[in-house]
Amino acid sequence: MQTIALYSIKGGVGKTTTAVNLGFLAAAEGWRTLIWDLDPQGAASFFFRIKTEVEGGGRALLRHRRVLEAAIKGTDFEGLDLLPADFSYRHLDLELSRGDKPKRQLRRVLKPLAQEYDLILFDCPPSISLVSENVFAVADALLVPLIPTTLSTRTLEQLDTFLNEKLPKNAPLLLPFFSMADSSKALHRAVMKSVPGQGRLVLRSVIPETAEVERMGLHRMPILAYAGDEAAVAAYRGLWQEVKDALPAR
Amino acid sequence: MNLAPAEYLLPSDSDHLELAERVTARQACGEDSAVTLSRHIYDSFDWRLFLAGLTLEWGLSEAAAADHHDRCASTPASVEDGQAALVVPENGLVLTLREPRDPSAAPVLQWSALEPGFLSEMPDGPVRERLAGLLGIRRLLPMTELISARRRLRLLNEDRKTVVRLVIERNRFRNPATGETGDLSARLRLKPVRGYAREFTDVEQWVRNELGLEPIEGPQVLEALTAAGCRPGGYSSKLDYRLDPDQRADLATKEIHRGLLKTLEANVEGARRNLDSEFLHDLRVATRRTRSALSQIKEVFPATEVDDFKQRFAWLQQVTGPMRDLDVYLLDLPALEKRLPESLRDDLRPLRGLLNDQYQSVQAELAKALESDPFDALLRDWHAFLDAPAPADPEAGQPGTSQPSSGGDSTAPPPKRAQQPIKQVANQRIRKMLERVRSEGRAITETSPPEELHELRKSCKKLRYLMEFFQSLYEPARIRGQIKQTKVLLDNLGRFQDTAVQAQHLRETAEAEGCRDGGIPPATLLAMGLLIGQLQDEQARARSGFSEVFRGFDSDANAARFDALLSDGKGRKRQIGRR
Repeated sequence: MQTIALYSIKGGVGKTTTAVNLGFLAAAEGWRTLIWDLDPQGAASFFFRIKTEVEGGGRALLRHRRVLEAAIKGTDFEGLDLLPADFSYRHLDLELSRGDKPKRQLRRVLKPLAQEYDLILFDCPPSISLVSENVFAVADALLVPLIPTTLSTRTLEQLDTFLNEKLPKNAPLLLPFFSMADSSKALHRAVMKSVPGQGRLVLRSVIPETAEVERMGLHRMPILAYAGDEAAVAAYRGLWQEVKDALPAR
Repeated sequence: MNLAPAEYLLPSDSDHLELAERVTARQACGEDSAVTLSRHIYDSFDWRLFLAGLTLEWGLSEAAAADHHDRCASTPASVEDGQAALVVPENGLVLTLREPRDPSAAPVLQWSALEPGFLSEMPDGPVRERLAGLLGIRRLLPMTELISARRRLRLLNEDRKTVVRLVIERNRFRNPATGETGDLSARLRLKPVRGYAREFTDVEQWVRNELGLEPIEGPQVLEALTAAGCRPGGYSSKLDYRLDPDQRADLATKEIHRGLLKTLEANVEGARRNLDSEFLHDLRVATRRTRSALSQIKEVFPATEVDDFKQRFAWLQQVTGPMRDLDVYLLDLPALEKRLPESLRDDLRPLRGLLNDQYQSVQAELAKALESDPFDALLRDWHAFLDAPAPADPEAGQPGTSQPSSGGDSTAPPPKRAQQPIKQVANQRIRKMLERVRSEGRAITETSPPEELHELRKSCKKLRYLMEFFQSLYEPARIRGQIKQTKVLLDNLGRFQDTAVQAQHLRETAEAEGCRDGGIPPATLLAMGLLIGQLQDEQARARSGFSEVFRGFDSDANAARFDALLSDGKGRKRQIGRR
């Protein structure tokens, strides 16, 4: 089982749309895939028309395997399941801190899912918290969307430093990529040109900011499920290929 | 709780369009692109997976196939073509191991772009793990191809969220060996969506009550296998005859030979193509048993014909020998390597290389022999002999025929035992061979040469074969017990003989290679020398254990068991071989 987290300290950078589309692509290729919507806003759950509701909330989910098993819902796409968000996730930090080894709680919860899924994608809330530290401890890779601005590249540096300090031996693979890019903006063009030149690995695929990506909220499904020749469709496919290439062999 | 999918047979005259309309009229539906899936079903020649309640499929996963169709945007593959016109991408190929008898059991999946064959070549993963211990050295072979054209509906709830999947499926099979294709029954499948159990149950009830369909249990794979002419579980090299004790000996013996011939013929193609080493093994065992039955079930067939066939089957045994020797050598090699200290194991590599180099030419010789006229003629003549009507019993006027036996002299008197009841012949032959085993075994002393043990082993095998041929004529538990007892002795003699043969092979190879320019290097010769020493030690251990094992076989208790077995039930017991 591989675990990938869509993570950014900032909000509104395209985490959820990427998680939803990569989940769709993985399942379409036959990976048994689960998206875990960890963001209490429940955007990923919304895209799949699944109610943001977990019986007993985050607390029960962390404690009882039965609750976890019952909370998972199949999406409209075969092989792609979702563990929906719940409003109680806003207190998930607190719940995680209650048990022993608070930074290892998620690893324990995920264990029984290893037989059922080939891939788990976390759609993380934007913050650095005990939730994100738990995710860092279990993720094989962190997929980090970057809006091509100077500020967002700075936050990438911060994340890198944080990971190296907290998990010096087993930090997840850091896979940043440009998201919501607008090639008509000079700043975007300049940042996208300069950052890879600074010796930092940035995936080649660039997710453009297009009206069609925004319309995912109207269609309530991955863009790949309804749009044919959109630039964003090719971009997500390219991104998925790069992610697969970067992951250790299955 | 995960629900199991439900499956229904659709009547051959059912209108699939109308069916889909009824579904969409009941509930709002979405529809995914239609897919044509091609699944190749694999098993070993002797159906090890089927007999263990498993089926193994290899093909594109449905999700990958659908994705591929969508991306290609070409005309979808047609099920009428007999095969899916898919360009198979490297990823998306999946091995699926199912337990058809337990539909709720989740299938075991493993990605593999490599066509299944030997387990040792399969990539690591859960399917390989599950098959370990089941498949041994047998190769997985494509048995049938199941081609399914699926129309895929999604039943939606008020949020237009998929809650149940419904598939209408037309199916065909293709025989991978002959290319023959044909229709299979159409099916309707209901697939639950995780987390929506109530909705699934509602649809299930509607299908039963409104469409009048009943769920079926029988696995679809079985239908595809049968249609392709396979008889799952239908091959076994084990002897399993049902003889009538009063049957004429010549007729019963022909029945035994017919069974052996069937096994022999079943393995010819696999041995010729070298699909795995067990084909040749089974072919040779059937040949050896045939020769044994020809020489041991005496005086039931005309002597001239028996002599002719004995010679010709001896030829078959001889031409198949070199390949079997090489197979055994290569199969033993990993175990031989393990006998060496780890630091020396790599030294044996050139030996493996040498054997592999010989392999192709020896296999080609074998294939030539199995395609040769003498082999064809042997099978043809043997069939003709076994199928020819037996001579009538002049005294009893047994049913049969008045025609002479094929190739026999119609004026000659029938062989002495041809018309005796088979049970009588069986008793006499088993007794005789048992006495021979006993006397040969008793003659072996600490100083006897290995050849005497080899002769004893041959006699012992003949005894075992006789008991196996005639097993159905005796009380089942008793005959099984005596066969088992004989196997204990055979195992000891086999260990002695096999280690001797292995050491002999190594010695011969070393001698031939040692004096050849560019032969295998000295380090390999030294490692082989070390192995020869170890094998000789083991041979000595088997030799020292012989007397105790033979004492067990030659005991009064065992003699009494043989007596009980062979008594004819009329109080005429003859004591066998008691000291």
